[in-house]
Formats: sequence, structure tokens, C-alpha cells
Amino acid sequence: MKRPPDLVYAVDDQPPLAITLFNGLQHVGIIAINLIYPLVIFKMAGASVDTTVALLSVGLVVLGVGTFIQSARSPLGSGYMCPSTFTATYFSASMLAVKAGGLPLLFGMTAFAGILEGLMSRALSRLRAFLPTELSGLVVFMIGITAGVAGVRTMYGADASPVRGEEWLVAGFTLGVMAALNVWGRGVLKMLCALIGLAAGYSASAALGLFGAEHGASVAAAPWIALPRLMHASWSFDITLALTFAIASLAATLKATGTIALCQRMNEADWARPEPRSVARGVLGDGIATALAGMAGAVGTNTSTPSVGVAAATGIGSRHVAYATGTIFIVLGFLPKVTALLAIMPRAVMAAGLLFAACFIIINGLQVMASRLLDIRRTLTIGLAIIAGASVDIFPAIVAGAPGILAPLLASSLAFATLIALALNLLFRIGVKKTVTLNVARDVVGTTKISDFLHVQGAQWGARAEVISRASFAANQLVEAVAGNGWSDGAFTLEASFDEFNLDLHAVYPGIPMTFPDQRPTEREILEAGDGMSRLAGFMLRHNADRMRSESRGATAHIWFHFEH
Amino acid sequence: MELDTSRLNTVTAVAIRGRVDSTTADKLRDHLTEIIGAGSARLVIDLKEVTYISSAGFRTLLITARSVDHAKGKLALCGVGGEVKRLFDIASFTELFTILPNRDDAVATVLT
Repeated sequence: MKRPPDLVYAVDDQPPLAITLFNGLQHVGIIAINLIYPLVIFKMAGASVDTTVALLSVGLVVLGVGTFIQSARSPLGSGYMCPSTFTATYFSASMLAVKAGGLPLLFGMTAFAGILEGLMSRALSRLRAFLPTELSGLVVFMIGITAGVAGVRTMYGADASPVRGEEWLVAGFTLGVMAALNVWGRGVLKMLCALIGLAAGYSASAALGLFGAEHGASVAAAPWIALPRLMHASWSFDITLALTFAIASLAATLKATGTIALCQRMNEADWARPEPRSVARGVLGDGIATALAGMAGAVGTNTSTPSVGVAAATGIGSRHVAYATGTIFIVLGFLPKVTALLAIMPRAVMAAGLLFAACFIIINGLQVMASRLLDIRRTLTIGLAIIAGASVDIFPAIVAGAPGILAPLLASSLAFATLIALALNLLFRIGVKKTVTLNVARDVVGTTKISDFLHVQGAQWGARAEVISRASFAANQLVEAVAGNGWSDGAFTLEASFDEFNLDLHAVYPGIPMTFPDQRPTEREILEAGDGMSRLAGFMLRHNADRMRSESRGATAHIWFHFEH
Repeated sequence: MELDTSRLNTVTAVAIRGRVDSTTADKLRDHLTEIIGAGSARLVIDLKEVTYISSAGFRTLLITARSVDHAKGKLALCGVGGEVKRLFDIASFTELFTILPNRDDAVATVLT
């Protein structure tokens, strides 16, 4: 595994204790922004301040346990620095549950969604054709948009109070500190840019009088140390919300898939495709954490893409940082006064943190989407899904006017965009052949006909550009070499087959197979031997494919090239 | 395939655009041989805009390297990136040539 140059501490590295702790604290700070989701949901459920702090304390312990499950080397987690967080993924579904049946329904449906995600993790490889990589990228992108919009919404949401000038100053100052330290900072300042930015935001808020007397009173009233209380947890289930939570669970699965793929990319310079085993373990761990959240009395959790985004920005990807993060969460669960302090985070600071994190999520989503060749079908799938998701956010009238059964789906831009993408992905599979054949004429040598054929087909399949390039070289070089060796009369056919895991080429031509030596011919042989160039071609073809074989059948030669996808 | 030839001090730089395969390799070889034969044996070949190179193209590069050696000149390649770099690697040709990241560095190298 080749280490990326920007990576300071890889997943197995152990940073110095101070770096570990401060980075852990930084991730807690980033994730603390997402406390807004349970806070808003509990508020909507009519929970008292005391109940809210109690539920939040339990939630923090769940986040700590979830972070350990996700990051430890075990069959139940990805093993990467990938903390758990409360998430926008379940936000709208949770609000619907709270409206329909209060906290018991919220907790019951959350546990259901977690179990569903755990089950989906076992079938990920079979679902891969229906959940292509660009769809994971789309989900990550939409989560970034959701996070960024949520940041703006804390200031300008329909039920938000008018924004004061001081809040603009605090938001701009907080975002400025984070961005400046990230762009121009070095060492610890760069690594802790988000945490320092949050601390600067709190300080600026205090200096500009954004904390009211009630904030101080709620912090003062909270005890320093107390055991988390599980007394508020009770559960119910509503079948009419099952589909909404199932889609949220699928979105959480896709987001976890994308986040863990991001962890893999962060740790491996030559990363080409998601490694499926750690992804499946990570999705299982994510489902377990959400199921635990529901059972303990918290809202749904997910892998923290902003945390991984910040880890990528700072180059600190050690799982020991995740252990520190998890430990801090658990400790915080026993410190209601600190929980109360987090709970009074000024909305200007929240907005700045969400905007900062959203930038990294959006770009990562775009990169994942762009890693695949995208034909018109996939372009329409991604484009229409993004427009659909954005539209329900921009035009609330769409949701208000929707039939009751659709309202839960339309209430979440993420769920709606995901649903549209899934449906279009299924629809556009119609007419896409798994196997295609090209009849090759002698005059293709020196042209781009074979490359064009494979690239057009690769885009229909959503294949990775790098794999199509390798296949394209194989086909071109083979045809060129065969033509150079006296192509006898008869058809040369090239058959290309694809599934999400494999790309295979099968060439059939009249004559005997060319040779594919293990050793490259010497320079002298290439220049002077009659078959030097042909042997060089065979050597390159052998090493270009992941596997190859050839055989003679009667008067025809058969060559197979296999490329892992 | 298109060839763009320019002189920089005593160095001749040849930028190749397009495919270098069995249908174009002879044209490339003839062009480079003519330059070396005319006494310009300090040569830079810029592959930045090459979209495909086959065994025939690699053989032409070897022929050119040998001609430059015989003329006691110097040869450097530049613009070897992406798919072309991958093909240099799988052909085990990366070690056979002096490869610089850009044309200025390549010119400076053949001038020393």
C-alpha cells in the first residue's frame, strides 16, 4: 500500500499523545455541531430541558461506543478513523416520527433503521449493481449540500429568529479562522483548525453578547458529574413510516460506504476502488450504532463524513484519534455541565462549522462521482436526482402539496434524491448489454475506433476510466500486433463483458495465438530480432491485464484478458 | 500523429501529438533520424500529447536512443504522464531513458 504524501499519520500509526487528544477533541467539536439534530428533534417532541440533557448524555455515550465499534479492528467495524455522529440522514424521518408518535416512535423506528442497515451490510456485494459508485458519490454530495444548507438554515430557517449583525460577525470570524488555519496554517494550527475555529467562535460570541442569561443559567444548573439515565427510552413502531426509515437507512448505508471509501483513499495513494470487506464491516458497525441509539433513547447515527473530511485536510487518519474521540464522548456523557455548554452553541458558530465541513463533503462526493465514466444515462440519473433533492429544499410547497403517502419521502432532500437516483438507475439498466461484440477490420489499426467503442460502452456500464483505458490498450495493441504478423483472411471479433467486479475481453482471430512472454525481450532483441517487436507487444499485453490466457482452437486463436474492476 | 519541431539553443525538441503505433512509427523514426543525421544530436522528445503508444512506438524510441548514442549526443524525454507513463512502466522502459517532468528541465539536461 503506497502512502499518500499528505498523510501525516496513517490509520495504524500512533501519533504523540497530545496530537491524539487534541485531534480527538477537534472531532468532538466538529461532531458537536450535529447535536443540533437531536436538540431540534427533542424540542419538537416537547421534551423538557432536564429530559433533553439526559437524552443527550445517553446519546453522547452511544456516539462513543459507536466510534469504538466503527474504528476498532474487529468484524463489526471498518477499522478506520471514522467516528460516529448524529446525522442529517435521519433528520427528516425522525421529525416525522416525533410528530406521529413522540419519542417512543422515534426510538423504535431508529432501532428498526439500524437493524435494517446491519442486514443491508450483509448483502452489499449483491446489491452493488443497484448501488453503483456514482450513487454513493451522489449521496455524499447531497449530504454535503444538506449540511451546508442546514448551516444557513440555522440563521435563516423559517422558524429562525432575525439575524443580528453580531451574529454575522461571529459566523464570518469563525469560518475565517477555520479556513485561514486550514489554508495557511502549519503543524498543530492546521491540524486543529476546526476546533480552534469553534473555540474562537465561542469566545467571539461571549465578547459580543450572544450568550443570554438563560444560557448561563442552564449551564449553571447542570451538575458536573452524573450517570447517564436510560429512563426516558420506550419504543413503538409504525408501519406507515417503515419505507421512509428504510430509505433513510439506505442513504445511511450509502453514506457510510462513501465515507469508508474516503478513509481508504486517505490511507492509500494508489486507491482505485472501494475495498468491499472493510466497507461491509463498516456498514454493519454503523447499523449496530444506530440500533443501539434507538434502543438507548437517541436519534440515528452515521459515520461522520465531516470528521473524515477534516482528517483528510489535516493528514491525521490514525484510529487512535478515533479512540480518543470515542473516550471523550463517553466521558462527556457523564458531564452534564459540559453537555449543556455544547447544547448552547450559538447558531452563528454552528453555521460556520457546518459550512466549513460541507465544503470537504461536497468535493469528496464530486470526486467519487467523477471516478466513473458517465454516459447520458448516468448523467441524467445524477443530474435529475440532484435537482429533485434541491427542489424539495428550495420549494417547501412541493412537500406541502404532496399526497400523504409521499410526504415522508419528499420531506428529506437526501431521501428524495436517493430515491430518484435508485429509480432512474433501475430504469436506465434497460437496454444496457452486459456483453458486446465488435467486428474488427484491418483498417482499424491506426484509428481510435476500438478505443471509442470501449469508452462508449464503458460509460454505459459506469466502468472506471482507468480500467477502460487498460482494456483499450489491450485491444489496440493486440490488433496491431496480429496485423503486423500477417493477418490472414477471416473475421477478428472482440467481445467485451462487464459486471461490477470484472471486465473481460475475448478476442478471436484466424491464425495461431501470438506469444506472451514473461520476460521482456532485450533492447537488442527488440531492435534486431525478427519477432522482437511482437514479443515486446506480448510482454506488455501480459502485464497490462490482471490475468490472461490464450489457446488455439482449430484454425482460430482465442485470447482472453481479465481486468478486475 | 503530428510532429512539432523547434530549436532551443543547440537542442532540438520534438513534440508528438496523437498515436504512436505501427502506422505512424516509421514517420516518427524517419523524422528523428533526419534531425540526428543533420547534426542535431541533442534531442528532447515531448510526449505530453501522446494519446497511445504501442510496442512499435517503443521500438522507435529505442532506435532513436541508439542513433543519438552513435552520434555522441544526448536524448531526454518529457511529458511522460498518465496512461503513457503506465505503458512505460509495464514495458519496463522507464529505466531505459532519461525522463524529466517538463521540457525546460529536459533541455537543461541534454545541454549539460
